[in-house]
Amino acid sequence: MKRRAFLRAAGAGGIAGLAGCAGGDGGTTETTTEGTTEDTSETSTGTATGTAGGEVPELVVATYGPFVDAPSSSPGASIKETFESEFDATLRYATPDSEINYFIERALRGVDIDADVYVGLNVDMLIRIDEQLDEGLFTPVNGLSRGGDVKESLSFDPKGRTIPYDTSYVSIVYNETLGDNGAYSAPETFDELLDPAYEGDLLAQNPTASATGKSFLLHTIKAKGADGYLDYWKQLQDNGVRILSDWSSSYTAYSNEEAPMVVSYSTDQVYAQRSGEDLAKHQIRFLNDQGYAYPEGMALFEGTDTPELARSFLDFMLRPDVQGEIAQRNVAFPATTTAELPASFSEYAQAPPEAVTFTYDALRDNVSEWTQAWERQFASK
Amino acid sequence: METVNAVLRTAFSRLEAHALTLGTAATALVLVVVFYYPVATVFVDAVVVDGQVTIAPLVSVLTSRFYLVDIFGFTAYQALLSTIASVLLGLPGAWLLARFEFPGRETLRSLTILPFVMPSIMVAIGFVATFGQNGTLNAVLGALGLPTVDLLFTIEAIVIAHAFYNAPLVARVTTAAWESVDASAVETARSLGASPVRAFRDVVLPQLLPAIAIGATLTFVFTFASFPIVLALGGFQLATVEVFIYSRIQNLAYAEAAALAVVETAISLGLTYLYLRYEGRQRASGQGAQPQPRRSLWPESTSVRSLGTRIGIVAYALVVLAVFVGPIASMVLTSLTGPQGGLTLDHYLFLLERQQTGASYQVRPLPAIENSLLFGVGTLLVALPMGVVMAVLTTRQFRGRAIVDALSMAPLAVSGIVVGLGLLRGLVFGIEVFGTRVQVTGALAVVAAHAVGAYPFVTRNVAPLLGNLDPRLVESARSLGASRVRALVDIELPLVAAGVVAGAAFAFAISIGEFDSTVVLAEGSTSYTMPVAVERYLGRRLGPATAMGCVLLAVTSLSFVIIERFGGRYGGRGGF
Amino acid sequence: MQLTLENVRKEYGETVALGGRDGSGGRSGVDLDVEDGEFFTLVGPSGCGKTTTLRLVAGFETPSTGSIRFGGREMRGVPPEERDVGVVFQNYALFPHLSVAENVAYGLRFSDPPGGESREGRVASLLELVDLPDAGGRNPTELSGGQQQRIALARALAPGPDLLLLDEPMSALDARLRERLRLQVKEIQSTLGITTLYVTHDQEEALAISDRVAVMNDGAVEQVGTPQAVYRRPETRFVAEFVGDNNVFEGRVVSSRAADEFEESRDSVAVEGKSPVETKGSEWQGERDRTADRPQRVELDVGGAAVTIVTENAVETDDRVAFCVRPEQMRVLASGSEERDSEPSGSELMDGESSRSRTGTETNVLDATVSGTEFLGESTRTYLRWNGRELTVRSTNPLSGEVRIGFDATAAHVVDLERGE
Repeated sequence: MKRRAFLRAAGAGGIAGLAGCAGGDGGTTETTTEGTTEDTSETSTGTATGTAGGEVPELVVATYGPFVDAPSSSPGASIKETFESEFDATLRYATPDSEINYFIERALRGVDIDADVYVGLNVDMLIRIDEQLDEGLFTPVNGLSRGGDVKESLSFDPKGRTIPYDTSYVSIVYNETLGDNGAYSAPETFDELLDPAYEGDLLAQNPTASATGKSFLLHTIKAKGADGYLDYWKQLQDNGVRILSDWSSSYTAYSNEEAPMVVSYSTDQVYAQRSGEDLAKHQIRFLNDQGYAYPEGMALFEGTDTPELARSFLDFMLRPDVQGEIAQRNVAFPATTTAELPASFSEYAQAPPEAVTFTYDALRDNVSEWTQAWERQFASK
Repeated sequence: METVNAVLRTAFSRLEAHALTLGTAATALVLVVVFYYPVATVFVDAVVVDGQVTIAPLVSVLTSRFYLVDIFGFTAYQALLSTIASVLLGLPGAWLLARFEFPGRETLRSLTILPFVMPSIMVAIGFVATFGQNGTLNAVLGALGLPTVDLLFTIEAIVIAHAFYNAPLVARVTTAAWESVDASAVETARSLGASPVRAFRDVVLPQLLPAIAIGATLTFVFTFASFPIVLALGGFQLATVEVFIYSRIQNLAYAEAAALAVVETAISLGLTYLYLRYEGRQRASGQGAQPQPRRSLWPESTSVRSLGTRIGIVAYALVVLAVFVGPIASMVLTSLTGPQGGLTLDHYLFLLERQQTGASYQVRPLPAIENSLLFGVGTLLVALPMGVVMAVLTTRQFRGRAIVDALSMAPLAVSGIVVGLGLLRGLVFGIEVFGTRVQVTGALAVVAAHAVGAYPFVTRNVAPLLGNLDPRLVESARSLGASRVRALVDIELPLVAAGVVAGAAFAFAISIGEFDSTVVLAEGSTSYTMPVAVERYLGRRLGPATAMGCVLLAVTSLSFVIIERFGGRYGGRGGF
Repeated sequence: MQLTLENVRKEYGETVALGGRDGSGGRSGVDLDVEDGEFFTLVGPSGCGKTTTLRLVAGFETPSTGSIRFGGREMRGVPPEERDVGVVFQNYALFPHLSVAENVAYGLRFSDPPGGESREGRVASLLELVDLPDAGGRNPTELSGGQQQRIALARALAPGPDLLLLDEPMSALDARLRERLRLQVKEIQSTLGITTLYVTHDQEEALAISDRVAVMNDGAVEQVGTPQAVYRRPETRFVAEFVGDNNVFEGRVVSSRAADEFEESRDSVAVEGKSPVETKGSEWQGERDRTADRPQRVELDVGGAAVTIVTENAVETDDRVAFCVRPEQMRVLASGSEERDSEPSGSELMDGESSRSRTGTETNVLDATVSGTEFLGESTRTYLRWNGRELTVRSTNPLSGEVRIGFDATAAHVVDLERGE
């Protein structure tokens, strides 16, 4: 039944041949009729809000898997619960495996998009969207009642489509117990990292496929400049840095004490503390006293059939209590200045003295060049 | 009533007479819908950019020193080393399983496929725990006063991991061939004065070579396209071409990704083609009616030779212990280890809790198990006929047979990431037919996609055995009134039951382990599988994911034993 | 069931498996007519197309051109399972995973036993027929080769086929067993009266068992006839040499005239050592059917020796002619080491001469050297070298050294020189 309701609400044209997919859990073959795209808004608003049966309107929130389904904690459930209890609406999550690419693909191929909001955007995704699509996938959002609460420094979309809802800082996590006399200490600066004393000590991630890996690479570019970073990486490589596929495999190796340092998030101790691990094994170091900011944002799909409800959702996400909830459950820093957080949170979640990041424009013009040059230098040894 | 019956019977026999043709057509249709068309939607990006036909992406890959020498060169190099390691590690296993009798031999043989279904995440976790600086291996070496080894983040780690996956494949196919070596041929050679070693070289080895060749070819094809394990255990210095395909697709640089994937597929298929031409020439004469008797693993006498053999076996057992048992045991241990290092069942309790309280949009263990088994059995049921039909087709001699054969192997040679994207574009988004968008998703699509990936294993296991059968058996059956398909079912399949069962086990394993297509096709439904659950439960702590991984291992182990037992019965008499 | 093959050809790409070239070099196919109830054998060396013919009849292969008809019904497009033929192969091809009884009963899965018999009854009576009544429960691999072949025969006969096809069924068996089994097969065949197409490379077996045989060579049928006809009157050099032992001579016609003019030409004797004139003999080709009005006495130059034969074939001076003389038609006239095999009627004649024998026909006399002997029991086969070629004679006693042999001019049988080469 749910699927049927969704299909009706999803709009994007009249729907035919539904008899074939009445089985709720993913009908095998479905047939929908194309060709009535122009009357999208009419049909959909009509269906979503004014259904004769008095059906509750549905808001489809697309996001990445761990936002709703992580083994530790994820904010998805409480957001859904709170939102549904306060708004007369059903919130449905969609978590396609290829995340935002799934929707870019749909748009590229002219297939209608059934989601209203995307949660979990970063600047790379925005650049990809703008490179691939002539028309916007998302529509700019103005005039949110709590839009002003968002920290200015976190905004990463010059076109105003994306509202940041939380941020992480990429830093070094190190294991104090691994040094001589159990007193290992990570280097303070990028330059010190090249010290032979730290040879083979750092685990990082593939910057072309991992968020932490890319943030770390960008941080080195920030520190060493576009002219100097390749040279820096040459030395880093000579000093035995390990670039693994993704955060997970590098963290696995770190947990097995293969190396005393890993590129990760500055909120690491929050998890360690929760699961009762030895905090000495989860020390944070901000190289050059900087952390590379990794803000996450949300945006409104241009084709949404419930723009009002969707906007309410965006505003809802910025509410102090919800911001606190997201920060704690997603283990990240809130995006607003007004978030309600317990004092214990800042005890373990460390923010860098200085947050650094590249602007959308700088990245759009350079990021593929930077990463590909790095790739070619690093992979060919 | 009579006439209705007669009409029905006529219709049925008509259908039966054309069953093979229909089967071939159905196989071709499935291949086109869930493989060739979807993959084409991606490959076309290599030659069409912004609506213009161009060879620029291909040229840029083929003229790039970086791609051609550094990346493809290294990819082929590590695949070659991995193939050699897999064959070296697999052959003694085949020898043990085929030539020795010991308790649990059949179960062990059933379980040889197990590494095949292990999600790469699990293998990475197991390998780090086993071969890492602080791993089990070094702990054992240290305790024995031996120097420790630093295997992680080297090409050795990649090669061993690839051997972990593929040596069982080599062992499995070689065991089947070894079991069908005719004892009388060996006895004849011995009676002519050949030493056991000589008899092996002159009589047994030539009969094993085709099986070893298929094992080696498949290993090369797999390791050539290997992806997550390479970066997880080797690092970016050891990046293979698949790493770049993944990253390009991730960044939507489709032209480059497609060009890389086309070159990668061409190399893999080219190699497969060469193998198939070799296989075509190797059609041996008749199947061994009388397999060699197995020896007891425990020596009856204590001659120097038998002592040497046993020392070899013990040495091999130690290697198996390190390479196979070690990582799996580490994974089990991880699933039972708490944050402070103590033993705990917390992670399994997490699975239970997730099962009970998980929301509809979350992945729960039980549906994952159910779906995996459902898809596994479904895949088996679809892939078996597909594979057998293709085997029958390719054992016929016709011009271009090797090409058709090689194309039928393409599902193994095309990057899983490319297939995934193709399925998204081709099936999930659907195609417009007469103004109607036809989409294929959900359980049926997952089974079809798994079957496409699995049926080449059935074909490769069944075709050589079918080719060895005397064609007069089928001709006899047909002149006695059996349709071609009846002859296949009544006569041929029972005689090649060993290959059918092995193929079925592989098909099941492929389905259980498949990830790329599953996540794409299960989208928006509850059709997630165990590997998907493993991936979902992977977080900062390894416990929940490894616990789910252990559930996966337990469920599939049991399934393999059941498949082989059931299949063994199907074989009936005739020495199988 | 009558079996007809009309202009049947089978080609695999460039390779011609069945069919030859006609007189003008065009493609020709095979024509055969097997009568209802007949035991018809295809005999020839390996690769001659006999097995291909059987496979075409069984429906395992499709003819490239031509027509195969069962009792007038065109079989093109009819699959093997709908042809009602029973096939027995050389290697038995029993189903190793089925018991003997299950093997025999296999064909009964697809059709009811003939004559309203029960399946079990049919199996039992067939096992009875092949003289293995107690073998039903056994595994085929436990049986001897001969027993397996009888089971294969029983299996083929079980559904009551219209046509029995046997492809070299005895080849894998030892000689004694082969002779016994072929008697049994013949007996079963004549009891059932089933039309049978039998394929063998063994001409002796073909002659022993068949109503008629077709001798095949290189994709074409050389001769069809009763065993007696094929043996006594081979039409081609190939048939002459393939069927039974034979001595084939080739020579150039020096003179020919009606046999009754023979007396006057007695003095024309070939000169020793004179080499025959090279002729291609092409004019003779295609004319073998043209017979002279009456027997001709033909004098030939065979490798320099003069030989006289009497034939009804029309020949002209300078034609190249092949003829054959069966070993049993060769008489030993004189032997250096052993006592004479027969009376010394021509001993006074020179080699290559001929004389009138007591029987009134002319005898050719050849002086030859023994090159080898084979003791056959009731007789000895002796290989001789004469005039640069090998000859075979039969004698009751072994021979050695120099021997003089003779054959009557009327014992020679002229064969087609070109065909079958």
